[in-house]
Amino acid sequence: MSTKKTHYPEIPRKNLGPGWWLANRHYTVYMIRELTSFFVTAFSLIYIYQVYRLASNPGTYSQYLDTVRSPAMISFSIVALGFTLFHSVTWFYLIGKIQPIKIGRKKTSPLLALGINTVFLVIISFAVLQLFIVGK
Amino acid sequence: MSTVARFHALLWGVFSLGGFIAAFFLPILIYINNIAYPLGLWPVTSKDPTRLLVINQTVSTLFVFAAVGGSLFHGIFRLSATLAELGLKKQEAKITALGYAIIAVGLLALGYYLWLLSPNIIPGLAPPWSK
Amino acid sequence: METDTATIRVARYRPEKSEKPYFQEYKVPYRKDTVVLDALNQVKAEQDGTLAYRWSCRMGVCGSCGANVNGVPKLTCATFLHEFKGKSLTIEPLANFPVIKDLVVNIDDFMEKLLKVKPWIIRDKQSPPEEGEYKQSGKELDRYAQFSSCINCLLCYAACPIYGLNEDFLGPAATALAYRYIADSRDQGKKARFPIVHDLEGVWECTLIGECSVVCPKGVDPMLAIQKTKILGAMEAPKTMLSPETLKAILPRGGE
Repeated sequence: MSTKKTHYPEIPRKNLGPGWWLANRHYTVYMIRELTSFFVTAFSLIYIYQVYRLASNPGTYSQYLDTVRSPAMISFSIVALGFTLFHSVTWFYLIGKIQPIKIGRKKTSPLLALGINTVFLVIISFAVLQLFIVGK
Repeated sequence: MSTVARFHALLWGVFSLGGFIAAFFLPILIYINNIAYPLGLWPVTSKDPTRLLVINQTVSTLFVFAAVGGSLFHGIFRLSATLAELGLKKQEAKITALGYAIIAVGLLALGYYLWLLSPNIIPGLAPPWSK
Repeated sequence: METDTATIRVARYRPEKSEKPYFQEYKVPYRKDTVVLDALNQVKAEQDGTLAYRWSCRMGVCGSCGANVNGVPKLTCATFLHEFKGKSLTIEPLANFPVIKDLVVNIDDFMEKLLKVKPWIIRDKQSPPEEGEYKQSGKELDRYAQFSSCINCLLCYAACPIYGLNEDFLGPAATALAYRYIADSRDQGKKARFPIVHDLEGVWECTLIGECSVVCPKGVDPMLAIQKTKILGAMEAPKTMLSPETLKAILPRGGE
């Protein structure tokens, strides 16, 4: 019997390619969830630009408001709102997974945290509307 | 923990806070400013919401700063990671640096222009170069 | 019991014969209680003795029989053939690891990471046995109990795209086991483990995809362990920010 040991090459590990998130439904939902950040970022930057227009030159600000009224901007905003709400819902759900609401020593379903936080979202949104309507 | 990792830990804390801010504050701002106002939907207003929110206001100006500033930080932090996952892993350091630059400029600009519009958010101190 | 026949497609890699991996089909008889591992054992015993795969306990305890079944990491001893009736059934080695032969993968990378997080109780000073055991309440046990169920089967590493993109990522099981000790009231090893789990290739790489927790056969939630560890890191950072070591690293060194 030979004692000679032969090492055969392994198939090396391959890093995932850019399309990995299409491999299963969980990954795809995850990627949609993460891409909400594009709309959150884009809206924030657009809004900072609006504040800049208002502060730097109130005279030409009304021209910017025409941009706000343009169909392209409204369509973008509706899509951005949809994605932002998707961020809210998925964020609330994940919070429920990470810090589950406990009843005694029992953990509750993350859906409970999602529900409670959604109620908070509605209350906060109404409070903001008050901020903006009251006395104006 | 390396110093860089320690900074990253702190920034992750801010990112997390920004996630809550974007989740709770951003939808209503997008709705009133960019959907309800241009389309004349409830609650209808003839004046644009931004002027109502940020000219000589304290509470609502701070709300706008928190909502937009927190969302910007959260969005860019998350977007950098997502771009790395979408095949730009090798460029991650550059993307992250660019991201922080945008965050810094964005937050400074937002804070400064809101201060110009509502100088009372910092009592007793007028913004420099204001008209 | 009724017997049926299934066709399984198994990934083969036999470097002593050919450098190229390929698929081979086998027809195997199965009943309602036949698992994928039984099918592999049937092939090895009666059809093709060259097939290589790992297994030991065949009851979901040892963690050695993991494979990608139709692309999803599973314990082959806990995956029933009848669930795939009318569907094709492809068995591949666990993703994200180098392949040694057929379904056998090289897990050295994980073994190194596991050692790095020091998965044992660390005490500043061991108290002598006469002083009795280190006591723990039920509530304290709750904090880490689930994480101690990990059997190192590495399904979570095969399911984790972050590990798939970056081999340096500490990964789900190693962090879950680190947290199992971090959260243990008897342990005093935070100083030793925090630099590992809170490093840049540690928990911060995770973006909460959560597939590790979905595929875990033992009900462990590594995603939760990683998030809890992140929260600890974020709370720890401001405290250690002004430590002498950090200041030394940031401040210019005069005359040294």
